[in-house]
Amino acid sequence: MLLLLVVAFPGLFASRGPLDADPLRVFLAPGHGGLLGTDQLGRDVWSRVVYGARYSVLIAVSATALGVLAGVLLGLVAGLGGRITDEVTARGLDVVAAFPAILLAIVLVTIVGPGIPTVIVALAIASVPRYARIVRAETHVVRRSAYVEQSVTFGLRRTTLVARHVLPHAVVSVPILATIGLGTSILAASSLSFIGLGPKPPSPEWGAMLADGRNYLQNAWWISVFPGVAIVLVVVSVSVVGRWLQRRFEHREHA
Amino acid sequence: MSATSARSHGPLRRRPAALAATALSVSAALVLAACSGGADAGTKASDSATPQAGGTLTWGVETEPVTLNPQLNGQDKTKLLLRNAYEQLLARQDDGTYVPWLASAYKVSDDELTYTFTLRDDVTFWDGEKLDAAAVVTNLKQQLNPKYNPYGAAGPLSHLKSATATDDRTVTLVLKEKYAPFLDYVGSLPLISPKSYAKADVQAGGPDIAGTGPFVLTKYVKGQELDFTKNKDYAWAPATAKHQGAAYLDALTYRFLPESSVRLGALQSGQVDVIEGVPGTQAAQFQKNGAFTYQTALNTGTPYSLYFNTLSGPTSDVKVREAFRDAVDLDAVLKSVYAGQRTRAWSAVSPEDPSFYDKSLEGTYGNDKDAANKLLDEAGWTGRDSDGYRTKDGKRLTITDYQSQPYVRDQRDTLLQAIQAQVKQNAGIDFDVQVVDSGVSDEHRAKNDYGTYDNSNTNPDGVDIEYHWLPADKGGFINLSNVTDPQLTTWLTAAQQTTDTAKRAEQYDALQQYVIKEKAYSFPLYEPEDQIAASSKVHGTGFRTYYQLPEGAYDVWLSK
Repeated sequence: MLLLLVVAFPGLFASRGPLDADPLRVFLAPGHGGLLGTDQLGRDVWSRVVYGARYSVLIAVSATALGVLAGVLLGLVAGLGGRITDEVTARGLDVVAAFPAILLAIVLVTIVGPGIPTVIVALAIASVPRYARIVRAETHVVRRSAYVEQSVTFGLRRTTLVARHVLPHAVVSVPILATIGLGTSILAASSLSFIGLGPKPPSPEWGAMLADGRNYLQNAWWISVFPGVAIVLVVVSVSVVGRWLQRRFEHREHA
Repeated sequence: MSATSARSHGPLRRRPAALAATALSVSAALVLAACSGGADAGTKASDSATPQAGGTLTWGVETEPVTLNPQLNGQDKTKLLLRNAYEQLLARQDDGTYVPWLASAYKVSDDELTYTFTLRDDVTFWDGEKLDAAAVVTNLKQQLNPKYNPYGAAGPLSHLKSATATDDRTVTLVLKEKYAPFLDYVGSLPLISPKSYAKADVQAGGPDIAGTGPFVLTKYVKGQELDFTKNKDYAWAPATAKHQGAAYLDALTYRFLPESSVRLGALQSGQVDVIEGVPGTQAAQFQKNGAFTYQTALNTGTPYSLYFNTLSGPTSDVKVREAFRDAVDLDAVLKSVYAGQRTRAWSAVSPEDPSFYDKSLEGTYGNDKDAANKLLDEAGWTGRDSDGYRTKDGKRLTITDYQSQPYVRDQRDTLLQAIQAQVKQNAGIDFDVQVVDSGVSDEHRAKNDYGTYDNSNTNPDGVDIEYHWLPADKGGFINLSNVTDPQLTTWLTAAQQTTDTAKRAEQYDALQQYVIKEKAYSFPLYEPEDQIAASSKVHGTGFRTYYQLPEGAYDVWLSK
């Protein structure tokens, strides 16, 4: 909740702009210059962490949404299509899944060029197999279930059948997976920025801030520690929410 | 493996700054009597003890060579590596005078058109070839071979009429016209074995390319390290060296550690014995610690500067260029980025070069926010967009700099970010800094599609000025402002054709006033310097006389 507020209204939380540099106020320790100190250009670390939430959350949410959309579609196509469509799609997904997600993203970003849209698309592509496989498997189960076969017998139209009966049952586990995937995406987005493939400086992206501060660890630890803490906190809380959803869901299943 | 991987860097060699021809070249004029040399050095290791032979030195360096061929490599920061293996005809002392090295004597005729070098008779390359007059002539002729060195023919050798081996030990060079910087160019060309030109990996360099140095290059692992072993037969050190005979160290390893924090940590934990490249913000921990020695020296040549593209984009307007310059409080920026450990630049020449440094430029421009805004208003950039940037006809005032990754060092990326913040806050200029690989930056340069180009170069004694301000097809390899003003060529030609230092300085001073103050073609930022931090058991590190780059490891020894 707090995270969403921060994303929507960063101005409420930080009085200074994230890009306001002041060469006279560099390397001020936390407390002496702003809540979390200032960085090598005299920018306020707290403001940058607050505004940085936007980048991380925007990238992660968009990438996950895109990944889910493509994954569900591919999963349905594979699950409902004929044997050949199914095989081709499934093997294609295997190939994508065989690459470590972050490596795939690095390759894509390197080819297309750094920037927020590329990072989103790269992370989305890397996450597609995860959703597509689940949906495909569930679709297989659902289409062979008695009620679907009955509907077919009753002559229900194919599109209606898919929309009303197959889809809702096949995608029940996707939101939970997506919530957990959100955490992974935030981490992956920060990693890409850390190695310079994310938003360009001076954007206050957490991974990029971490990378910036690395060279000053010995004299100004706060420049990189606080963005790091922010990443950990957000990833952990998103994952906790995801697991909680998962437990509730499993509970319901077993009840 | 090293050959192919290094060759993949081909595009880098297209970058004029990375040319063999930009290897140090300086005028024959006997200048710089006041060159301070080692006087800049901070804490000196106590070298009074007797040097001990033996041991292996590990040296952490920031920059990896794009090629190991010393004639094709233009990266100043890698000279300290290649210097161990490759040598040249003459050395220069701090006062600028030449002393023998591989040539035991040289003579310049009274009309300054004929240069005669007499070679030592005991020098051999490590592949067994003898260094004779024919070998030197081969080296020079190869620079003019466009397949080997595409830029060589346009450089100082364009003034060469003939090169002949008069006898086994005598090389005679005749010029077409007087060219003051010629002696330094020829005297400082690193020589390689004539057999090496036939090797498949001659462009990439490496162990196959034989030199005459005190160390033999034995192994290169890309991205990791460069290894040398002692050349036991070495007996031809220049007079500028601190000893004669073979080197003290048995073996030498340079490890490539581009991250400054990693480099510093490696030295502090004893994994390496010496490092170069210490960020200004970290210098204090070595300056005040008895377990280490810390030395610095300002580079020669042209300071790190921004060159405005005068051919296209908003920077073709002199008012925009002046406004950019005036919008920056450079003193404050340098103080913050480098913790006060770097020197501000004012002129097109380093203060290390006292004859040509134009002191009168100091304090005459910059840090005037109101003037900057007034200039931009006059230039028609009166609109403002939602991000606070100035606009004209709906177009944002964007000035792009493509920083070439292999040349980013000494926190220059942070420095440009600080300037980016200043010009935005003070004048509403969008200074778009992109760190890209060298291919991309070359491409933008070839298409003249950039706002500023950042560069520094260490060629001393006026050659740096020629490289920057002659027209591109007349030897201005790094004419990054794309200026073809005939006035500049007039000054430069006048300076080339005299060996009178005071007269040359007059021409160069006029040029500096013009390109920096009057036309704002370039914006000097800071004087690059080199730093060496070493564990206290390492002795004999220092800077090369006159040129001020870190010296190789020939004089270095380890106390037990």
